[in-house]
Amino acid sequence: MEFLNTIGGYALGILGAGLAAFMAGIGSAKGTGIAGEAGAGLVSEDPSKFGKAMILQVIPGTQGLYGFVIWFLAFNKLVPGMSVAQGMQVLGACLPIAIGGMISGIAQGKVAAASINILAKKPDDWSKGMILCITVEFYAILSLLASFMMLNAISL
Amino acid sequence: MAIVQMKKLRLLAVRDRKEELLRELMRCGCVEITELEPKLAGTEAEGLVRPESSELAALKSRHSSLVHAVELLDRYAPKKTKLLSAKPELEGRVLLDDTGLAGALRIAEALEGYDARIKRIGAEESRERSLIESLQPWLTLDLPLNFEGTERCSVLTGSLPARFAPDTVSAAIAAVDEEAELFLIHEEKKANYVLLVCMKGQLPAMQDALRPFGFTPSAVSGLSGTARECQLNAEQHLKELAAEKENCVRYIVDDAVHRDELKLAADRMNVKISLAEAEERMYGTDSTVVLQGWLPADREEELGQLFDRFGCAWETEVPTEDEYPEVPVSLKNNKFTDAMNMVTNMYSLPAYGTVDPNPLMAPFFILFYGLMMADMGYGILMILAALIAMKRIKPRAGTLSFCRLLLYGGISTLVMGALTGSFFGNAPEIIAGMMGRDWPGLPSLFSPVRDSTLVLYGSMVLGLIHLNTGMAVNFHQRWKHGDKAGAILEEGAQWIILLGGIVLIAQMLVFKENAMLKNAGLGIIGLGAVMLLIGSTRGATGIGKLTAPFSCIYNTLTGWFGDVLSYSRIMALMLAGGVVAQVFNTIAAMPSEGGVTVFSGIVFIVIFLIGHALNFGLNLLGCFVHDLRLQCLEFFGKFYHDGGKPFEPLRIRTQYINPQE
Repeated sequence: MEFLNTIGGYALGILGAGLAAFMAGIGSAKGTGIAGEAGAGLVSEDPSKFGKAMILQVIPGTQGLYGFVIWFLAFNKLVPGMSVAQGMQVLGACLPIAIGGMISGIAQGKVAAASINILAKKPDDWSKGMILCITVEFYAILSLLASFMMLNAISL
Repeated sequence: MAIVQMKKLRLLAVRDRKEELLRELMRCGCVEITELEPKLAGTEAEGLVRPESSELAALKSRHSSLVHAVELLDRYAPKKTKLLSAKPELEGRVLLDDTGLAGALRIAEALEGYDARIKRIGAEESRERSLIESLQPWLTLDLPLNFEGTERCSVLTGSLPARFAPDTVSAAIAAVDEEAELFLIHEEKKANYVLLVCMKGQLPAMQDALRPFGFTPSAVSGLSGTARECQLNAEQHLKELAAEKENCVRYIVDDAVHRDELKLAADRMNVKISLAEAEERMYGTDSTVVLQGWLPADREEELGQLFDRFGCAWETEVPTEDEYPEVPVSLKNNKFTDAMNMVTNMYSLPAYGTVDPNPLMAPFFILFYGLMMADMGYGILMILAALIAMKRIKPRAGTLSFCRLLLYGGISTLVMGALTGSFFGNAPEIIAGMMGRDWPGLPSLFSPVRDSTLVLYGSMVLGLIHLNTGMAVNFHQRWKHGDKAGAILEEGAQWIILLGGIVLIAQMLVFKENAMLKNAGLGIIGLGAVMLLIGSTRGATGIGKLTAPFSCIYNTLTGWFGDVLSYSRIMALMLAGGVVAQVFNTIAAMPSEGGVTVFSGIVFIVIFLIGHALNFGLNLLGCFVHDLRLQCLEFFGKFYHDGGKPFEPLRIRTQYINPQE
């Protein structure tokens, strides 16, 4: 406790907000990266599919956005001199989107990459690949909501 | 509004009028021709009847050559088309006509010829380029490349890896014969290009001496003339090739005037392919042809007149229940329920003889969609997009039902947005704030952020209604098919349990003092449970009679629990969309905190546009997918029998031109 006091609540809050932004960002970066590689492979064969490949690539990009949303809300909440308990509350509230966003982003990227396969082999059914990707999205949305509602409940 | 009644058709026609009859059927577009039932096997007629043949393969290859020609024109002479333009329309009669096909095919062949020539030129060009590349080291050598020596001496060209210094190699050669000499022609990072001069008789010994150094004879040694001459030749050839390529491209571009002609021909070929495919399913004798298929019962009279006009012998038959899996399914919809076709087709068509889910699903689908999106701004965007697309593209079939879905979803989104008071999130409030006014925002009946618990319960209540509608349909179906006991013991029992549950909840929330009500509730639930247990053992045999009740209880409980909770996604998506929109609005307004300047105004507009474009796009798709899931998994799970195969009548199918209706 002594140790935490030397750090202070504000720093803990900053840590939470930062985690939300960068961990979800890692998820999206990896996800769009995996999908982007697959997309580039397809576009090298058939440049006319660029538009659709790009749509599939950006789908795992939303986790980073959600992380950023929570970062923004959490960062706006912080006040210098807040207590360690309050800092911890903010940190805890940020964790769902940090971890959920990171893992779902990577998982969604893999689905998106596989969906680019659909786009290559059965171009007419590519929208089904999009639907498969959106299934993963739901869990990022739930993480976002959990973080959002907890942040809302914290009073500073 | 329902699954269209089908009748089985058997028809015998005169061979001479086969073509004409098929074309006429194609224009009607309401007869599906199927394979003939193998009833003739073993009868006298077996030897007489044989399958009809057609030139299907040849037609397909002609079609692909026409399509390829159109693609070539689009590649080399792209035509500027307006965004969202409708396909041209032509009368069905014109599409069924064959004139001009031969001419178009000739043009297509010529275009393909030019394209093949361009490809060959490409290959030749890269060959010439790599030759020029390999000539580079020898450019300073003024001997012809195929020069092998004089009367007495031999000349050898080649390369040595750079790790052996030329001096070392020279020394090794000198050891064999003092007279021989190695000239360094060109130095590169990895290799040295050398010329060896030696006495004719010494050549094999020299080659042996060079071998340990990894000597590779030159690849260009067969060419006549010096390296520079060869290079000039190759460059000249490249120029000629480029000119020829340009000519080929110009010929293709010149043919762009025939684009529409080629498109029409490709579609005429499409029509011929459909006809040929129908023909392949028919059988015939020398003077007659026989076909079997399905037609919608309500078109029978009209088709009967047509058949009589062609002097056909024909009969129709109402399918028996055994035949139901074979009967093709077509859904009859009005403007409202047609929007659901997209959903039903994406899942699987209902089996023949069951219920058409579209009219049942439509109100729920549209309501749920609106609840999930719930934003006036987004609703208006959807309505506009749908209306513009419908006006400009003049969509048909699938695209039309998609546009309608977008339109109805948009209206629902607009209404729900008005109820929750959101217009691009909280944009009006934020903008008022930027202008320095303190305004609480649009009035709202309920808001997902403020009343999230209420919205959560509301979603689940909607879910209960939705699920019970599905059950009611199943109840009705079973009752109609005579399984009255099953209907009462399963659907009925679940309703009784639900009623008991409502009584209990009412007692807990409102009539807290009334113990009688509690007992009554428990009693009703007990009655329902007993009925359900009896129902579960009905179909079971042997040991199953013992285990069935347990699995029944487990499945009913977890099933209902999971199904109802699943509707919480309505609240989740409603809230998430709203929150993300609000955050973007807040971020966009941040630079304007101290008062709006030109710069901060521009920042606001840019962030606002990007943020809402992202949120809108994502929600448009996300809400559709989750709505789809609620319909296809939770709702369909209660009553739906899938597995119908789509009705595919012989009709005009085209790629570039729409047949007039």
